[in-house]
Amino acid sequence: MAAQRSLSPSLAALLGAAAALGPAQAQAQTAAENDSRVGYRFNEYGEDGFHGEAVGSKERYKVYSQQFQFDTRVAGGALDVNATHEVMSGSSPWYVAPGPDNRPIQVLSGATIKEHRNELRAAYTLNPGTSSSTTFSASYSDERDYRATAVGAERSFPLSGALTLGAGASFSHDIIEPTDAVLYDRVRHEEKNTGSAFGSLAWVLDKASVVQAGVQLNRSNGYLSDPYKLVSVGADILPDKRPDARTEAAALVRYRHAFMHPDAALHLDYRYAQDSWGVVAHTFDAACYQHFAGGWQLIPGVRYYSQQAARFYQPFFLDGEHRFQTSDYRLGTYGAFSASLNVRKRIAHWELSGGIERYHASTSYGIDGSDAAVPGVLSYTRGFIGVDYSFD
Amino acid sequence: MQTHRFAFNAMGCPCEFTLESTDRAAAAHAAAAARAEVERLDRKYSHYRDDSLVAALAAAADRGAVIEVDDETAALLDFSAALHAQSAGRFDITAGALTALWDAQRGRVPSADEIAAALARTGWQRVRWQRPRVAFSVKGMRLDLGGVVKEYAADRAAQACRDAGIRHGVIDLGGDLAAVGAHADGSAWRAGIKAPRNPQGALASIELRHGGLATSGDYERALLVDGCRYSHIIDPRSGIPVESFASVSVLADSCLVAGAASTLGMLMGLDEGQAWLQQLGLPFLCVTAAGKVSGTLDLAGHHAMHAPHE
Amino acid sequence: MRSRRGAVFVIGVMLAALLGGCATTPVQPWERGRLARWDMRWDPDGLQAAMDGHTHFSKEGSDGHIGAAGGGCGCN
Repeated sequence: MAAQRSLSPSLAALLGAAAALGPAQAQAQTAAENDSRVGYRFNEYGEDGFHGEAVGSKERYKVYSQQFQFDTRVAGGALDVNATHEVMSGSSPWYVAPGPDNRPIQVLSGATIKEHRNELRAAYTLNPGTSSSTTFSASYSDERDYRATAVGAERSFPLSGALTLGAGASFSHDIIEPTDAVLYDRVRHEEKNTGSAFGSLAWVLDKASVVQAGVQLNRSNGYLSDPYKLVSVGADILPDKRPDARTEAAALVRYRHAFMHPDAALHLDYRYAQDSWGVVAHTFDAACYQHFAGGWQLIPGVRYYSQQAARFYQPFFLDGEHRFQTSDYRLGTYGAFSASLNVRKRIAHWELSGGIERYHASTSYGIDGSDAAVPGVLSYTRGFIGVDYSFD
Repeated sequence: MQTHRFAFNAMGCPCEFTLESTDRAAAAHAAAAARAEVERLDRKYSHYRDDSLVAALAAAADRGAVIEVDDETAALLDFSAALHAQSAGRFDITAGALTALWDAQRGRVPSADEIAAALARTGWQRVRWQRPRVAFSVKGMRLDLGGVVKEYAADRAAQACRDAGIRHGVIDLGGDLAAVGAHADGSAWRAGIKAPRNPQGALASIELRHGGLATSGDYERALLVDGCRYSHIIDPRSGIPVESFASVSVLADSCLVAGAASTLGMLMGLDEGQAWLQQLGLPFLCVTAAGKVSGTLDLAGHHAMHAPHE
Repeated sequence: MRSRRGAVFVIGVMLAALLGGCATTPVQPWERGRLARWDMRWDPDGLQAAMDGHTHFSKEGSDGHIGAAGGGCGCN
């Protein structure tokens, strides 16, 4: 999104009043933004070392990502191009073995060689910045063992002065070709298709508040298991096996409120999701964007996530013969808290940003309390620095 | 690409469309649509026709009746209300009775009684505007949208040309300009700002590629009595002319906003006008009666507005 | 189950607040300046939102956002 040169309140008032007088005026608002922007982010993600009983390297994942963005105006619309380059290394949970007294022992993969992932995404928006905009997007992600191509479209419709309807759909086709497939007897080549549709309604409540409610339906078909994970079932160690279809339904409510004194904006989001595998997830997000003199912004935030396990999740299975099985902690019952703090500073055409997040997951944090162990739930620290430059 | 010009009279001033197109018929078609739009607005908001909306509003004001207005008028009234708020009451579409008193054609300074009587019939605060209904709490009030309709018409005419497929041209309604689009080769249109003491000469030339350029000017309409000059910019709160610039020009993304800003700049007067325009943030030019030029508008064209697209 | 009822409750409360908003004062066009500010957007920083979404998508069991879904990845 193009950066915004700050409008004086009187100009904003005039532009707002003029906007009601038709399309010739609506362009006046969007043109107040600079035409083009480039941005760069450097992100570092590091998981805490594994605590608890484990076999294998306890150093978990580390990811360095670089993001590049270029936004500009082209032929009547806005073009947004993103490129991401990631370098990933470290060990990850492989399977859980039942130890003495059936205590779970996490077996981790050995530390992997560095993996790279590249992603390119482009989006083109007609009538940007208005409530009747249309966006077309396409993306491509490529790494040694995974390729994904996706396309999407979304459109917004003004229903009245205060209500805007949004709708969209997207489709993704993924190809998985696990590394060392022969060595570890993994699948060689698998595919997965995902389709998604969503609808939303945004409501201007008053001159300082907006709220949005949305629903989304995702459907995936194909190979949905994790080829790198195994499950201990009875006396065997079997591959991770999940159903070949997954339907997820989600509902979301987002609220934004602007305060004048102090100069700040409050963000509150809640999302509920439930899927055909039995996973139920709640996400609460809150953030406060605070402005200080000199173009400084401080943005503290908190997030709470709670998930209930998929029906076929267990750290390990003592008896045999299950249609589906997984020991992947990402399908277990657990909750996670995270706190973040971001800082932004505007200097003429430049904007510098930086932030840090600390995330901690635990089986005791879930809403649907469970005493069941979920070996492998993780904690991480994430940080980034970024720079943006706007120009005409 | 050829340049096609279409000139006519409307809104009490000479109007000209300059459109670039490879096809004369397409340009003529666009000009006809744009002209129809200007003439529609002229008829609707005219003071000189019995069947205009303004006449209907005047009749309602005299009878003490409530009148319901259409969306376009409602939006213009909302816009006028915003200007009233932004200018702390100096911009007031009910001030027609006052401006008539100080009209150059009367040839004399109005008496205190005449001013008091006109003030009693003036004031946006005396209008009960609850969309879409207008009611007047005092009889004899007059709503004059002339201060916004001309610039609004320029934007509508430019949009009509764009809708008809013309992408290069400029609309000129009596000195208020709205760009259809830059020249086909990307170069800007050039607008001349008149010098106050030499209306035939151009003081400065401003580049316009997109958006609008509006100029509020005083030297042609000021009242001259006994060698004293009384500007036609009246402060509706006191009923007395404001000492102000000879002209204020503002460049904005639409002629409507440019016109509103230049009018407000004039209304704020010599003391506050320039400071207000500075904080507004749009490129502007102020010319005093003595010919002194100041403002942020870069006469070499560096502040020219760029379109959101292209 | 407990959390599903909880979810229905939270969404119900927020929708009630939404519908209760029917009675709020209409916002005049010239009052929309504050709403157009950068920090009032659904996702003010697109790059950051993308990174957050990608991290949560890779490390949790749910999709995590509303809107056009990007392609997946093999993130482990």
